[in-house]
Amino acid sequence: MSQTIGSRTLTWLDGARRSVCRIGWPATDKDRAAAMISSLFLHIHPARVSRHVLKPTYTFALGLISGILFIVLAVTGLALMLYYVPYPPEAYRSMKDLQFVVTFGIVLRNIHRWSAHAMVGVVFLHMCRVFWTGSYKPPREFNWVIGVVLLLLTLGLSFTGYLLPWDQLAFWAITVGTNIAAYAPVVGDQVKFLLLGGHMIGPMTLLRFYVLHCVMLPLAMLLLISLHVWRVRKDGLSGAEIHASPTEELAGAFPASTKTYGLMAIGKRPRASVEARDPNDEVFAWPHLLYRELLVALAVIIVLHIVSLVFMAPLEEIADPTRTPNPAKAPWYFLGLQELVHYSALMGGVIVPTLLVLALLAVPYVDRGAAGSGRWFAPERKMANTIFTSLAAVFVVLTIVGTLFRGANWAWVWPWK
Amino acid sequence: MGVAVEVRNTAPPRLHLVFAGLGLAFLVIFSWVLFHEGAAEWRTTQARFRRLETTVKNPHQLAQAAGVGGLRQIWLPDLGRVDRCETCHLGIDDPAFARAPAPFAAHPGTWLSTHPTDRFGCTPCHDGQGQATDYATVAHQPQPFVTRPMRPLETIEANCGVCHRALDPPDAPRLAEGRRLIVESGCFSCHEIPGFEGMTFRGPSLDSIGYKVRPAWLTSWLKDPKGYLPQSKMGNFRLSSDEIGSLQGFLLSQRAQVPLDSTGVDWKKADTANGRALFGELRCVSCHAVNGRGGTAGPELTRIGDKVRRDWLFSYLKDPHRVQADTPMLQYRLSDPQWRDVTAFLLEQYSSADTGAEPPPVTYQDARVLAAGRAVFERRGCPSCHRLAAIKDAGRIGPSLAGIADRDPDELPYGTNVVRHTTDNYIFLKVLLPDTLGQTSTMPTFAFTPADAAKIALALASIRKTDLPASYVLRRPAPVPYRPGGKFGELVARYRCLSCHTVGGFGGDLSTVPLDRIGSQLQRDYLVKYLLNPGAVRVSVEARMPVFHMLPDEAKTIADYFSMVFLDDGVEQYDTRFTAEEARRGQELYGQLGCQACHQLGTKGGYVGPELSETGARLRPGWIAAWLSKPQIYKPGTLQPDYGLSGADARALTAYLTSLGRSPAAKARGGNAQ
Amino acid sequence: MTKKDVLPDPVRRSMFAIGCIAVGAATAGFLAATFRFLVPNVLYEPSRRFDIGPPSDFPPGAVTFLPDRRLYVFNGPDGFYAISSICTHLGCNVKRGGPGFECPCHGSRFDENGQVAQGPAPKALAWYALSLSPHAQLVVDLDQQVSPEFRLRA
Repeated sequence: MSQTIGSRTLTWLDGARRSVCRIGWPATDKDRAAAMISSLFLHIHPARVSRHVLKPTYTFALGLISGILFIVLAVTGLALMLYYVPYPPEAYRSMKDLQFVVTFGIVLRNIHRWSAHAMVGVVFLHMCRVFWTGSYKPPREFNWVIGVVLLLLTLGLSFTGYLLPWDQLAFWAITVGTNIAAYAPVVGDQVKFLLLGGHMIGPMTLLRFYVLHCVMLPLAMLLLISLHVWRVRKDGLSGAEIHASPTEELAGAFPASTKTYGLMAIGKRPRASVEARDPNDEVFAWPHLLYRELLVALAVIIVLHIVSLVFMAPLEEIADPTRTPNPAKAPWYFLGLQELVHYSALMGGVIVPTLLVLALLAVPYVDRGAAGSGRWFAPERKMANTIFTSLAAVFVVLTIVGTLFRGANWAWVWPWK
Repeated sequence: MGVAVEVRNTAPPRLHLVFAGLGLAFLVIFSWVLFHEGAAEWRTTQARFRRLETTVKNPHQLAQAAGVGGLRQIWLPDLGRVDRCETCHLGIDDPAFARAPAPFAAHPGTWLSTHPTDRFGCTPCHDGQGQATDYATVAHQPQPFVTRPMRPLETIEANCGVCHRALDPPDAPRLAEGRRLIVESGCFSCHEIPGFEGMTFRGPSLDSIGYKVRPAWLTSWLKDPKGYLPQSKMGNFRLSSDEIGSLQGFLLSQRAQVPLDSTGVDWKKADTANGRALFGELRCVSCHAVNGRGGTAGPELTRIGDKVRRDWLFSYLKDPHRVQADTPMLQYRLSDPQWRDVTAFLLEQYSSADTGAEPPPVTYQDARVLAAGRAVFERRGCPSCHRLAAIKDAGRIGPSLAGIADRDPDELPYGTNVVRHTTDNYIFLKVLLPDTLGQTSTMPTFAFTPADAAKIALALASIRKTDLPASYVLRRPAPVPYRPGGKFGELVARYRCLSCHTVGGFGGDLSTVPLDRIGSQLQRDYLVKYLLNPGAVRVSVEARMPVFHMLPDEAKTIADYFSMVFLDDGVEQYDTRFTAEEARRGQELYGQLGCQACHQLGTKGGYVGPELSETGARLRPGWIAAWLSKPQIYKPGTLQPDYGLSGADARALTAYLTSLGRSPAAKARGGNAQ
Repeated sequence: MTKKDVLPDPVRRSMFAIGCIAVGAATAGFLAATFRFLVPNVLYEPSRRFDIGPPSDFPPGAVTFLPDRRLYVFNGPDGFYAISSICTHLGCNVKRGGPGFECPCHGSRFDENGQVAQGPAPKALAWYALSLSPHAQLVVDLDQQVSPEFRLRA
C-alpha cells in the first residue's frame, strides 16, 4: 500500500518536473543535443561544436569572459541600485553607506568597479583576438561591426558609471572626458550640453548619467550582445572549417563521433558551419562546451572576489567644483586620448578618435580577402596584422603613458619615483 | 545514477580536477568574504562593550538599555550629517560609564546636556568622517581623502565658533582669547572677517604728525614698532630703508592742522616736582603704563620723551579732543602752568638717556620722495588704520577671510616651513610669520607669540563656508552706540566716560561698573562727591577713576542725570522704613554670614570687597537688598556669594548696612535713608 | 583511454562531487548573503527612541500632541504616559474627540485609554514606554509597547 503511494507520489513529482524541464539529465547523444536545442538559454550554442574552438588558446575565452563580466556587472549593479541615490550630495553619502554600513556593500561595489575596468580590457583584447585570427572575414563582417559598437557601448557604460560615486575622482574625470567630447567639430558643444544637461556637471548630469548607465546603455548592450552571439551561433565559430580533420592530439581527448545527426539539418544552414562540418571533428556542446564555460565563469568570479577583497575601489572626497585636483585625469581608457589632447586638442579630441572608430568599423569591408581566417597571425595577413598591431600598440602605449607617467600639470613623472 | 555514467563517458577527466579545485577555491573565497564582513572592527568593539555593560551598569539602568547590537547612527538632515560614532562610543551619553575605558567612556563635562547628540551629533564639534565605522577611516588621525580629520582637543574650540558666531561661548577660552586678539589687533581693518562686521580699529590719525613726533623716533618706529613699544598693536611692515626714508618724509610733512597751543608758556618756570605730583593725582597710570606697570587703555609712557615734541604734548594734554578728535583720552581741567609742569615732568622722566635735544621741524620739499612715501603709505594699507585727510581710505587691502577655514590646503603656500599641509597650519603660519610663506606678502609681522598666533588661528579656523541652518547659529546683537545729547552729553564726551564704562553694552571695558543702573545703586549726593573726588571703593583694585578736576556744577549735572535716567525699575520700589529690630538682626546676620571676611568695616575685615563703613551714605537700600539677594544677576562672575537669603533676611541686612555711616542728621530723621 | 586519462573512475567521480558540493555550498551562501545585503543596517528615519523634552514642558493635566512623532503625551494625575495617534485600522492619524479619540478615515472611536469603543479598528491604540534620560529629558521608546497601566512619575 505504502509502496503504491510512494511510487504514485514519485510519478506525480516526475510529471511536475517534466512540465518544467522536459529532458532529464542527458544520458544519450540524442538527449544531449536536445538539451541544447530545447532550452531558451542553451540554444545560443549549437548542439555540437568543433573541437578546434574548444582549444583555450584559440579564443582565450575572451568573448565568453566579456559576457560573464556583463552578467556580473548587471547583477551587482542591480544590487547597488538598491542603496544608491542619484542626487548630489546624497549620491556620495550612499557610496559611503555602501562602504561602511551595508552588509557586503563594499565587496559588491569593488566587484562592480573592477569588473567594469576588466570588461573594457577584455573586450579590447577580444577585438584584438578576432583581428589576429582574421575572424571577421566573410560571412562575419557585420558581426565585427556589432563588436565595435559593443566596445563603444562598453566604454560608454564605464564612463557613465564613473560619475556616479560623485567624488572628486568622478567629477573631474567626467569633466575632462566631456570636454574632450566637446572638441568634436560643429556639434561638440551641443553634445556636451545634452550630455551634461546644462553647462556644468550638476544634479541633472548625475541623473542623466545614472539613467544612461542603469537603463539605456545596458538595454542597448543586451540587445547587441544578443545579436552578436546570435550571429556567432548562426555563422559558426571561425576556425572550425579549416580544422575539419581531427588532429591527433584532440583525438585522444574527445572520442570521435560515429553517427551523423539530423536535428540540425532542419532549415537552411549558414554556409560556413555546414559545408565544412565533419562529424568526427565535432563534440557535443553538452557537456564539453558547457562544462568549460562553467569553469571559466567560476574562475572569473573567483578572481573578481580576490581582487575585490584586496583592492578597494577608490572613493575620494566629495565632488567640489571649486577644487581641481592636479592632475585631473579622465578614466584610464581615455587617457590615451587625453595624452593626445595634451599635444593637440583637435588631434586627440576629434581626428584620432573619429578615424579610429571609422577605421575599425571599415576593417572587414576593406580587408576583404577570405584568406587567413581562423588561424592566429596567418602569414597571408601579415600586412593587416602589422598595421593593426602597430596602431593598437601605439594606443596602448599612449594610455599607459597617460595613466602612469603623467603627474601634476601633465608633466612627465616616473611612476616608481 | 546516470550522472556518474555520463561523466565517465563524455566529460574530459582533467576538467573534473579543475572543477573540484575551482569549486573549493570559490568556497574558500566566499568564506573569506563572510569573514571579512563578520570581523568588522565595530562588531568586535561591540562584543567588548557587552561584557563591560554588565559590570558597569547597575540593574536599573540595564533594564532600560535597549541592548547593544548593530550599527547606530545619528542622522541630522538639517546639517547634512550622518554620525555613526555611537556605534563604538556606546557609553558616551550615559554617566554610568564615566570611568569606563576608551572608547566606551561617557563624554566628559556637561557638553552633551548643552549639546544633545540628537541635535548636534558628533562631527559638528569633533570633525572626522562620521559615516565611517572603524577607527582608521573615521579619521581619528589624518586620512587621505578626508578633508577634515578629527580635531585634536587643542584646536577643537575652532568648531565652537562655527555656530557661536561672535558670541563667545563661555567654555571656549582659547576661542574667546583668539577673538579678543583679533579685535585688539584690528585684523578686520585690512581683512573682511565674518563675525567682526561693523567693528572698527583706529590708530591715531596722522594729520598733524609732523608737529607731533621726532624724526629719529619715526624712523625707528617705522623700522620696528615693537622696538619702541613692545605692546605696540602696529605690526612690522618689513620696510626697506628707502621706503622708510620716503615714508618718514611723507609723514613728517603732514601738518594739515595747527594743533599747537603753547604760545606764552614759560618753559623756564617748569616745575617737574609739581608735574610728578599731578601725574600721580590724575591717576594717569590707570590707563597708561610706565615701566611696564599700569593700565593698557592708552599707550605706555615709559619712553614718551623719545617720541613726541614738547609743544605738541603740552597742547594735547591741555585739550586732547582738539588735537586728536577721536582719542579716547579725557579732558582734565588744569591750568596752563600745571600742564607745563606735567609736560616737563614726562619729557624729563620718561626718555632715554641718549635722547638729544628736540630738532627743529623740517619741511620736506623733494616731491619725488613725498610721492614715493605716499605710494608706500597707500600700498601698505596704512589708511586702513590711520586717518589722513590727504588720502582717502581705499577700503580693506587684505583679502576677505570669509570661508578661510575651507580653503584647499593643497593650494596654499607654506614656503620653506616644514609642516603638514593643512589649512590650520597655513593660517597659523600666516599669522605668525607672514613673510615666510614663499610669497611676497604685504601683511605686516605682528610678532605674536606662537601661543597667541595659535589662538588667533583657532578663531579664524572657525570661519567656514558652510551655511548652517539659522537655528544652529548664535549671534550677539551688536551694541547700539550710546550718544546722549545736551549738557550731559557734552560732559560724557569731554570726560570720555565711555572709554571705560559701558551703557547698554556699548563702551570700554576698563571699568567694572556699567552705568545702566548707576542711579539706582548710588545715592545722588554720594555721586556728586565721588565725581569731584574719586576715591577707592575697593581697597585691592588698582585701576581707579581719574581725578577729573570737574566743576561742582558738572558733577551735579551728571549725578542728576544718573539719578533720573539710569535707574533699574526692579530696584526702585523699596520700602525703606526699617525698624530697629531689623537693623539688629541684620548686624547678627553680618557676623553669621562672615561678611567681614571680605569686606572692611572700620578697621576690621578683608580686602576683597568694597569697604562698607559709609554704605548708608553711599548705596541706595533697594539696591543693597537686590544685590544681596541675587548678586550673579547684576554682575555675572562676581565674587559676592549668593546666600539664598530670604526676603526678610535680605531686608534685615539692608537695614543694618543702611545704618552705617549715615550722617547724624539722617539718623535723627530715623529709618529713612533718603 | 590515453595516457592523459590517468584518473581512475572513483576519483573522477569524487572530484566532480566535491566540485558540485563546493559550488552548491558557495551558491547557497551567496543567496543568503544577497538576502542579508537587502536588510538595511541603518535607517534614514527618526530614531525609534527619542527625547521629547523635559517633563516641565508638559503641564499637569494637559494632553500634548506631537505631530511629527504621531504621539499624544499625557501628564495625568499619576504620572506621564504616551499614546500613539496611529489608528490600528489602516494607519490614519486619530484626533481627540470627546474624552477619547476618533479616526477621521473610517470612523473608529477609542476611549481615553485608547481602547476600541466603536468602529472597524481591530485593537487598542499603542502605548509606548516613557523614561527619564540621564539629562532629565522624557524619552519615548517606540520599540517598547506597554499596557494602559503604565505611568511615569517624574
